[in-house]
Amino acid sequence: MKMGLTISVVAHAAVLLWAVVSFGARPYNATPPDSLPIDIISVAEFSQMVAGSKTAAKAPAPKPLVEKVAERKPADNPAAKVAEKPEIITASALMPESQPAPKMSEPKPAPQAKPESKPQEVEKKPDPKPDPIADALKKDDSKKPEAKKEEAKVPTPKKPPEPQPKFDPKQIEQRLALLDKRDAQRRAATGETFSPTPTLGASTGNAPRLSQNELDALRARLAQCWNLPAGAADAKDLNVEVQMLLKQDGSLSAEPKVLNRSANPFFQVAAESALRAIRTCAPFNFLPVAKYEAWKDIEINFNPQYMFRS
Amino acid sequence: MLKSDSALSCLVLNRRALLVGTAACATALAMPIRHAAAAVRLDVTQGTIQPLPIALPDFVGATPADGDAARGMSQVITANLRRSGLFAPIDPAAYIEKVFGVDAAPRFEDWRAINAQALVTGRLTRQGDGRFKVEFRLWDVFAGQQLIGQQYFSPADNWRRIAHIISDAIYERLTGEKGYFDTRIVFIDETGPKERRVKRLAIMDQDGASVRYLTRGDDLVLTPRFSPSTQEITYMSYGQGDPRVFLLNIETGQREIVGNFPGMTFAPRFSPDGQRIVMSLQQGGNSNIFAMDLRSKTTTRLTDTPAIDTAPSYSPDGARICFESDRGGSQQIYVMTASGGAAQRISFGEGSYSTPVWSPRGDYIAFTKRGRGSFGIGVLRPDGQGERLLTEGYHNEGPTWAPNGRVLMFFRDPGGSAGPALYTVDITGRNEQRIPTPSYASDPAWSPLLS
Repeated sequence: MKMGLTISVVAHAAVLLWAVVSFGARPYNATPPDSLPIDIISVAEFSQMVAGSKTAAKAPAPKPLVEKVAERKPADNPAAKVAEKPEIITASALMPESQPAPKMSEPKPAPQAKPESKPQEVEKKPDPKPDPIADALKKDDSKKPEAKKEEAKVPTPKKPPEPQPKFDPKQIEQRLALLDKRDAQRRAATGETFSPTPTLGASTGNAPRLSQNELDALRARLAQCWNLPAGAADAKDLNVEVQMLLKQDGSLSAEPKVLNRSANPFFQVAAESALRAIRTCAPFNFLPVAKYEAWKDIEINFNPQYMFRS
Repeated sequence: MLKSDSALSCLVLNRRALLVGTAACATALAMPIRHAAAAVRLDVTQGTIQPLPIALPDFVGATPADGDAARGMSQVITANLRRSGLFAPIDPAAYIEKVFGVDAAPRFEDWRAINAQALVTGRLTRQGDGRFKVEFRLWDVFAGQQLIGQQYFSPADNWRRIAHIISDAIYERLTGEKGYFDTRIVFIDETGPKERRVKRLAIMDQDGASVRYLTRGDDLVLTPRFSPSTQEITYMSYGQGDPRVFLLNIETGQREIVGNFPGMTFAPRFSPDGQRIVMSLQQGGNSNIFAMDLRSKTTTRLTDTPAIDTAPSYSPDGARICFESDRGGSQQIYVMTASGGAAQRISFGEGSYSTPVWSPRGDYIAFTKRGRGSFGIGVLRPDGQGERLLTEGYHNEGPTWAPNGRVLMFFRDPGGSAGPALYTVDITGRNEQRIPTPSYASDPAWSPLLS
């Protein structure tokens, strides 16, 4: 009995020991998923949050998209004068000697004459009224090319003077003849007050993270400014980690700090190029102020290894 | 029974201990783990490769008489940095701050406004004994700090060398690699009509200044090479009878014949320690590689094949030699140990490979490739991988490396009645520049850094 018990205990312990040793050999490495902020609330809290209150201020109705302020159109005067109508001369009046035989057909020409005169009336109606739509369109077209000319003038002084091509007036005339002189098809949405925001959705979200677009914009800006030393040997371990602290307007609040070290002789030059990229690019004024908590401390990893081949 | 009781009691105790232990573990796991402050993490893997904008205002002369020399130095430095292709000197007309001094810090906002990322200010003073004192400072504009500050004393006619040394210092601090501006080029200067070219050995600064002729042009000279340690040049000359390898001391002008071999010797090159010359010797229709010790004059045969083995070049550690051989049927590049022995072929592309030169950094071998009707200069790694062509055209030949392994110089013969000229190209294949020479030039060889 005793021996059986001890043997059993020893055998169990041996099996357990073997299991612990052999099964725990290789840990399973899973890439950690992005962490999501999660709040756990009870059903009562949730219904309280979305209950709403009858005495709250009314939320403004979503405004229609307005891209430019419209021209004030003259309002239609409801008390318009009744236009003098020309006298209607019916066919029966024109033919006073009507034969007794076509007496039956008398009422026929009478109603026939009436519909004839009616289309005459209808045709005359649109003419006297001024056409506000056509007028508004013409004014839009005259304003749009002016705005475009102003924009075009501003970037040209910045460019250095380029050599002018030979001036040929004939070519210009030929090209003018080919221009499309039709009116522009798209009309700007007009309204009373200017409101460029789209109707659906609010402009400030409540997510504390930068959206992928903003991260990409920041990455693209840094890639533009990052002037890295080319042709360095052993570009493999030249990644530089820099910590960047920003103020609310996007400028640097402290000197950017390099966080890692490397034995590579080119590391100092790579680190200087990364710091220079950050200093040249600042201020990052395209980052949203509402999400300042999310981007006031950014860690950037400048990794040139994908740019060097062979 | 006692034993079993004690065993059971042990088990009970163990179980209790086990329960207490698991409870402790559970409470420990249940406590929330505090994360580090979640900063946004961003990976930037793309950048732009552009020349660095640098501002190089003229050096200030302490007196107006020194102003000319100071301006000359600034021009040499600006030309050097621009020619390297890694720097973009800003036009002086764009400078906002006009008064430069070496003693006070510059107004960095003015330089930031024109996007100068680095700034060099300097001053030249003539000393009482006729020497120049040159001081300069290199500033990082966006960081607002000084990177280097140095001063040099030199004889008055040596101002060009000081300008090259300053260019090297700036280049090294901003790119991390040693510069190559304080070097000289030895080449074959060719004058006269195509049928009767007069070829003279000449030496000049790497920017084309201070050309000096070393031979008179009576004999045909070819393939000059610099010694890495002393001021000696080895070259091949068709003197009386067979072509021979000569050793010329630049400073003393002394000339001696290397070895006394029956037959033609050509394609000489120094070993990295400067103690040996390796060359190829032709006997009959066969050409083999020999190494000769310069002090003891002993020669060692390194290859022994019925094929043509020529153009040997040492690796920078002196342990291996790469050479061209046609033992496989066409001219290809082989690598063997410096003491001779079995050679491995490393070039496998289309066409024939010749004139292999090992880079001073040891990471590439440059060669001339001939195929499909044109010549090209290319590089490949010593194990044969990563072959790429840097330039191609009618008759590009003879690559030679700058001492930092970044720039290659070669000569290009456009054919027809014109003659060859010297060109440099960066190892990335960009920035091909022509080096100005007084006349046609070929067969360049780059000296090591003079300082």
